[in-house]
Formats: sequence, C-alpha cells, structure tokens
Amino acid sequence: MSHSEHAAPKNGLANLITYNKDIPAYPYIIIGLILLGIGAIGALLALIKGHAEVYNVSREVPWGLLIGTYAYFVITSTGLAFIGGLAHAFGYEKYAKVSKRIVVMAVAILLAGFTQIGLELGNPLRMVWMFITPNLRAPIFWMGIFYSIELVILFVEIYLVFMPNKSNHKLSAIVGFFALLVGTVATSNLGYVFGSLNARPFFHGIYFSTFLVISGITAGAAMLIIVHNIVFKGRVPSELNDTIHSLAKLMGMGIGIMIFLYFWKIMSSLYTEPQGSYEAVMAMLAGPLALNFWIGEVLLAVIIPLLIIVTNSKNPAMLKFAGISFMIGLFFTRYDFIVAGQMPVMREALPGSGVIANAAGLATYSPSIVEWMVFALGWGVFLTLYFAAEKFLDLNTTEHH
Amino acid sequence: MESNKRYAIVLDASKCIDCKACTVACKMENGVELGQESYRIWVSMKVKGAFPNVSIEFEPSQCQHCENTPCQSVCPTQATYKTPEGVVLVDYDKCILCKACMTACPYDARFPSHHHHAIEKCTLCYHRLAEGREPACVETCPPKVRVFGDLNDPNSEVSKLLAKKRFTQLKPDRNTRPRLFYIIG
Repeated sequence: MSHSEHAAPKNGLANLITYNKDIPAYPYIIIGLILLGIGAIGALLALIKGHAEVYNVSREVPWGLLIGTYAYFVITSTGLAFIGGLAHAFGYEKYAKVSKRIVVMAVAILLAGFTQIGLELGNPLRMVWMFITPNLRAPIFWMGIFYSIELVILFVEIYLVFMPNKSNHKLSAIVGFFALLVGTVATSNLGYVFGSLNARPFFHGIYFSTFLVISGITAGAAMLIIVHNIVFKGRVPSELNDTIHSLAKLMGMGIGIMIFLYFWKIMSSLYTEPQGSYEAVMAMLAGPLALNFWIGEVLLAVIIPLLIIVTNSKNPAMLKFAGISFMIGLFFTRYDFIVAGQMPVMREALPGSGVIANAAGLATYSPSIVEWMVFALGWGVFLTLYFAAEKFLDLNTTEHH
Repeated sequence: MESNKRYAIVLDASKCIDCKACTVACKMENGVELGQESYRIWVSMKVKGAFPNVSIEFEPSQCQHCENTPCQSVCPTQATYKTPEGVVLVDYDKCILCKACMTACPYDARFPSHHHHAIEKCTLCYHRLAEGREPACVETCPPKVRVFGDLNDPNSEVSKLLAKKRFTQLKPDRNTRPRLFYIIG
C-alpha cells in the first residue's frame, strides 16, 4: 500500500519528509502553482485598485462568488473533520485507515477558504476589533471564532496523526471528537449567518444551518474518493476498498438527505408564493439561475453521482466520477444559494429609488474576472498544499490512533 | 448611557414635489461621493392607476433608525452602534466591510463608501444635532415633508403629529420598529 521510497518516519520533524515517487502529484502541484499565480495577480488587483473597482458585487447583491467559494471550501473542510471524528472518536475503522489524508486535506481546504474570505472582506486587518469590541450577538463573530478554533484543532490532529508515538488513542479520540463538534457548530453557525437575516426570507430560518452541514459531510466523502483515485492512479488498494465503499454509502446517504431538504425548501418557497422566498426559488427554477440549478445542482450534484453510487458502489474507479460530478455541482449549489437569496430586492426598483434590477424586478449579479482570479487562488492554495503533502509526506495511515 | 431624547422623523409624503433638494442637501452636508449606488436618502416615484385615471406619488426615504436594529445585531465588531438618542451610526474605523449589515437591512439603506472605506448610511446629520440644527434633508425641504423631533417631548411637533394623524411605517412585518413615520391621508 505504501508509496513511500523511505521507511516510515522515526522521530523528529525532518524524518517526516519523504518522497513518494509513485504518487502523481506534480501535475496537480503545477496546476496549483499556476492558479496561485493567477490568484496572486487577482489579489493584487483587488488590494491596489479596491474591491469596488474590480468586484461585481453591488448595493443590491453585496455577497457574491467569493462568499460562495468561501462556503464551498470551509464547509467541505468541516465535513472532512466530521468524517475524521467518526474515525477517531466513534471507532469507524474504515475511515481511520485514511485519517492522515482526512486531516491534511481538511487543513488545506480550510486555508483555501480563508483566502476567499480574506479577500472578500474590505478591511480584514480591522478584524482586530472583533476582539477589542466583540459583538457576541453577531453570527459572523462566532463564525470567525469557530473556524479559527477548528483550524487549531486540525493542527493538533495533524500533530497526533504524524507523531503517533507521542499520542495515545484516548487523546486522539478527544481531539477527533472536538474537530467533529466544532466543525459542525462552525458550519451550522455559517448557515445561521444567513438564517438570521430576517430581511431575506429565502435565507431566514433553520434550512441552511442543516443543509450546509449535510452537504459538507457529503463533500468530504466525495473529496476522499477523488483523491484516493488520484493517488493510486485509479487502482485503489484492496485494503481500502471497504473504506471507499463506505465513503460512497455516506455520500449517497448525504445526497439523499440533501434531496429531502431541497424538496421541502423548494415546496415551502413555492406554496402560496411567500414574498422573497418565492422570487428566489423561481430565479433558480426558471430564472437567471436556472441553468446553474438544473445542470449544476440537480444533474451534477444529485442525479449523476447518485446513479453512479447506486450502480457502482463497489467500483472505486467509477465512484471517482461520482465524486468529481458532485464537487462540480456543489459549486453551483453554493453559488446559487448565496446569489438567489439576494436577488429579491429590498425596495422596488422604482424611478428615483436608486435600486438597480432587471425587467423581472430582481437584482442581478455575475462575477467579475478578478473575482474568478481570486476563486483560482483558493484552488491554487488547496491543490498546491495538499498535493505537496501527498508528494513529500507519508499520508498512508499504517496504524490507527 | 440612556438619554431622555428619542429622535424621529415624521414624513408627510403627500407634500413631496420630488424636487430632490433633500438628496442634494444630504450629499452636500455629508460629503457623500458621486456614484449610482452611493446615496443615503432617496425619493421613489410610484405610478398609481391606469390611463386615463393615473397619478403619481412620491416616497422619500432613508435609514429607518430602527429600534430593533438588524444591522447592529449582525455587525461583528460593533462598528454599527446606536447613540443614546437611538440614532444608528457607523464607526468607520471598526468596519471590516463584511457587508453583513447590508444584507440584514430590509430597507437597502446602506452602501460601501470609497471615501470612508467603510459602510455608510444616513446619520440623521448627528453632527448638527448638538448645535440645535435639524438634519439637512429636513431643513432644506421646501414643502416641509419631513418633521424632525423628540418623541419623548410631548410638545414636540413629531409627537403632536403622531397624536393627531394616522401613520404607517415601512415593512412593519419585519418588526424593526422604525423611527420614521409616514402620515397617511
């Protein structure tokens, strides 16, 4: 199973460095570096010219692509932490077999997400005021706290999985449990950032606090299936077959719950046309976001992966396509929910009102080039960090702590 | 710190002639930058009825200085705060430009200011109030659409108007309890 040229690490940080010649990581590292370069230019443009000059967000739609990709990355990270927690704290041995990959990927994706929020905030350095004059009632304050704690816990987990002789099973279980718990709280609180908005009926309520957690766990399973196929060049070792099969089942169950939640959200937003929710859902079903919704959210994130999982649940090579399809579709899911909730305008676009809307009375938004460049930065961070770890660290878990 | 004042504006929109003097005065008084989306107050025009029985109405508006203040609730750094008199203000130095307040405001009363590098909105010209002056939009209005005053003073014009006239508030279903009152009829 091991791809490592060297023996397993002995002691000290230096001994952790290895060179896995069989893992095809370089293409991903190179793509990651290219995306990092593109993203760095985008970040410089945003910092030098100012967000208003280079981002397409507006008074009507203040949150755009970068909030969507921030959610995409950080929720996937907490989903991975959830799966890791199942392994360490609740004894799911099948997931414990891939615990190094889980925790390293969770960190890489979380850091990718932080690049998006960092470049979305107009004044990230002023976040120091969150500690000097914190507003404990603000969901965004707690979002910052929980995701920061999650990052620290994940680093502790990394230490424990790479220094197994210095840890013990009980400590790993406790840390794994808190990674699961804080990750779930962080993501459900991220849902509350939207769910607390009384002004935006599509966002308001419990839905996103639930949906984001479930879809995050599903995304974590999908990412693990994808990377194992990449690392083992489509030939996942037989000892990991049950892990991949179990991840596929988890993914299928996650998609099933997502369908359930989707269905009732859409029904409750259509039935008797509740103002605000109705316009947002119609924008997805038959409006400006319809292509995203039907092709991205429904076909790619639900139908294709579910069909593959149902017909090929024990075929890791085929499951890879389910994972890829889901992760592409999930991007549209994240993007659509951010944008759709803001499309119903807060004031009617009457003459003199200053409100800018389309003929249907909905606010409009499409990301700018620079927003896409910052999006590339997030992917660059993830691909470079994660596949460098694959190449230069031994991410195969030989024993479970 | 509690205050014995509760500032409010009572508007009689039927008097509005859409001269836009209020919007210009606001820009001048507060140095609001130019730009399609940079405005603190506005006057919407509503067309009523169908030809030949058609008429127009104007609705001047701005930040509602809500008592139940969603923009303040979601601000992670307390950049948005309320003065003792209930005026909702932004401390520009604390604003991280997360724009949560923009999404939380049911009245679309906020916008990012390039000048302040922060979120900007109507302040009821708070800097003038200590001098005993009214907000610029109130002072400049030729037909006196807006009346500014203290709700805690029963002899103030706003208190008398609200005692005498029927009034409504914008989006009462959001339960924000605005400090702007619109006289009906």
